[in-house]
Amino acid sequence: MAVAASQKTANDVRKTRKNPNPKRLGTRRDLEGLLVYVLLTLGLSMTLLPFFWMIFSALKTPTEMARIPPTFFPENPTLDNFETILHDPQLPLLRFYGNSLFVAVSNVISTLFTSSLLGYLFAKYEFRGKQALFGYFLLTMMIPGQVTMIPGYLILVKLHLINTLWGLILTSFLNAFGIFMMRQFIETIPDELLDAARIDGASEWQIYARVVVPQLGPALATLGTLTFMSNWNSYLWPMVVITEKERRTLPIILTWYSDQHGARPHMQMTATVMVVIPILLVYFFFQRWIVQGITMTGFK
Amino acid sequence: MSVRASRSRRRRGGVEAGQRRFILGVTIPTVLYAAGLNVLSIVWAFALMFFEYSPGRGGGPILGLGGNNPFVGLAHFRNMIEGVTLEARLFHTSLKNTLIFAFAVLPLNLILTLPLAALIESVRGQLRSAFRAIYFLPAVTASVGVALMWGHMYHPQEGLLNAAIRTLGGSPVFWLSDPRLSFLGVSVAMWSVVIAYLWQDYGYNMVIFVAALQGIPKEFGEAAMIDGAGAWQAFRHVTIPLLRPTLLFVCVMTMLSSFQVFDIIQVMTNGGPRDQTRVLVLDIYLNAFRYQRMGWAAAASFVLLLVVMLVTVVQMRLLRTEWEY
Repeated sequence: MAVAASQKTANDVRKTRKNPNPKRLGTRRDLEGLLVYVLLTLGLSMTLLPFFWMIFSALKTPTEMARIPPTFFPENPTLDNFETILHDPQLPLLRFYGNSLFVAVSNVISTLFTSSLLGYLFAKYEFRGKQALFGYFLLTMMIPGQVTMIPGYLILVKLHLINTLWGLILTSFLNAFGIFMMRQFIETIPDELLDAARIDGASEWQIYARVVVPQLGPALATLGTLTFMSNWNSYLWPMVVITEKERRTLPIILTWYSDQHGARPHMQMTATVMVVIPILLVYFFFQRWIVQGITMTGFK
Repeated sequence: MSVRASRSRRRRGGVEAGQRRFILGVTIPTVLYAAGLNVLSIVWAFALMFFEYSPGRGGGPILGLGGNNPFVGLAHFRNMIEGVTLEARLFHTSLKNTLIFAFAVLPLNLILTLPLAALIESVRGQLRSAFRAIYFLPAVTASVGVALMWGHMYHPQEGLLNAAIRTLGGSPVFWLSDPRLSFLGVSVAMWSVVIAYLWQDYGYNMVIFVAALQGIPKEFGEAAMIDGAGAWQAFRHVTIPLLRPTLLFVCVMTMLSSFQVFDIIQVMTNGGPRDQTRVLVLDIYLNAFRYQRMGWAAAASFVLLLVVMLVTVVQMRLLRTEWEY
């Protein structure tokens, strides 16, 4: 608050000459500043409330949970619910974390590779059919995933990849958004740099690997984080592809578990905490890249 | 001299051959993969909607179409327009609900995110990043998690909302399951999922608006204020027009993603009560994978595609006209 006020003084000084009543303006501005913080804090609590409600519920005992009206803060916070969930033989959580991690990491790797390679191709090469191929990727971006979901499922059945994590991986090699984003970045790499490498005898693949990719650090971090999060949180497509319980990814196992424990909301919320918190940690570490990525592409 | 020239020419030729090999080496696998998966999917989806197709039945030799999965031409679409059969009536309900959902979400989202972005943008330094980071938290939360969290907020007995209502002396509301409740002609269950969706989604647009606002020079707004405009007037007449391209983008993206809403609704209400929150993608999913009516589901997903394209084109037109002329 104090910082904001002192930074504003420069503007105020500039304006005092124009304004006949500088003192009144000053108080009005302070009030406005205060109002900004009040509104933002209000919004902040609305944003955080469901998170707190979830966490507090996970820390409550079943008896406290059953009380009407419910308490907000847990009276005797306990980690028993977490212990129960971690020792639940019906729910080998580690396996599901593993499944989700395997799919998400594989898809991040393949997306980063294909997006940077095709982005490079579209940015720096001229060839016949380039416009057609580029237009094709534009088109696939406009078609909702639900349109191709049904034949996608049928193709996986034919390939005997239904009910396997590979089914989720092999179908996500190409990412049109990733390609566009990388193309945008690679266009800013000067051609002279590439030509210099060519004169030094580097092959095109070497140029891609040793000249282009090292320039893409921030872009790869952004695309990688966004891809990881969308895979980690993905629900509909994994639910279509995977039916066997052991092979499910976290969001699907979470709904399964919550259906099993419909009458025990404290357990539902504990399971939700276990699924939601890891991704929030990832977010805190990679926040910068995510915000950058969204502002650049609007990609969800 | 001549030796060097010929060598460099040879090397140039070598480079060009290398480039050609590289281009082919990248494009051929890409085209094969895209053709085998994505193009086939699109063609297959297009073909499916003219058939009565169920994957359990053995069909004809090509993609299992024909045979026990007979060609029905435009029957699915005729059926949808007539709206007599049960599946057609459910489709109508789903389409209507999807439109209600999207047209409730878009204005509410803008009313929330634009002022929020302006407020955040007016804060200086570290605090701004902190606010932005926290406001974005719901957007990175798995939508299934969001659905369960909000399901718990709305819970008739243990929910926070009803706890507040009880404290104020009211009687508990069955937010997600009472089909008789409505507000402004839209069911309360629908409003409830709209609110959960807004909570999850506003971070995206907020971040985009903050970035766009940062791109507008402060002097513009200050000049207007010196000329006697209030903060609101400056925002309305200076900032908003400058934000128009961003506004267009945000409107289109928000509309498109709310037309495709699925996760939150499937988990929170599964379309209930009495199909009041049944939306298109849920309808498509249930038809394709529960009832195995994939031909019908493909036809419904084609309608979704048309709606998506129509909305995109209309919004482009609407928001563009004003600043083109």
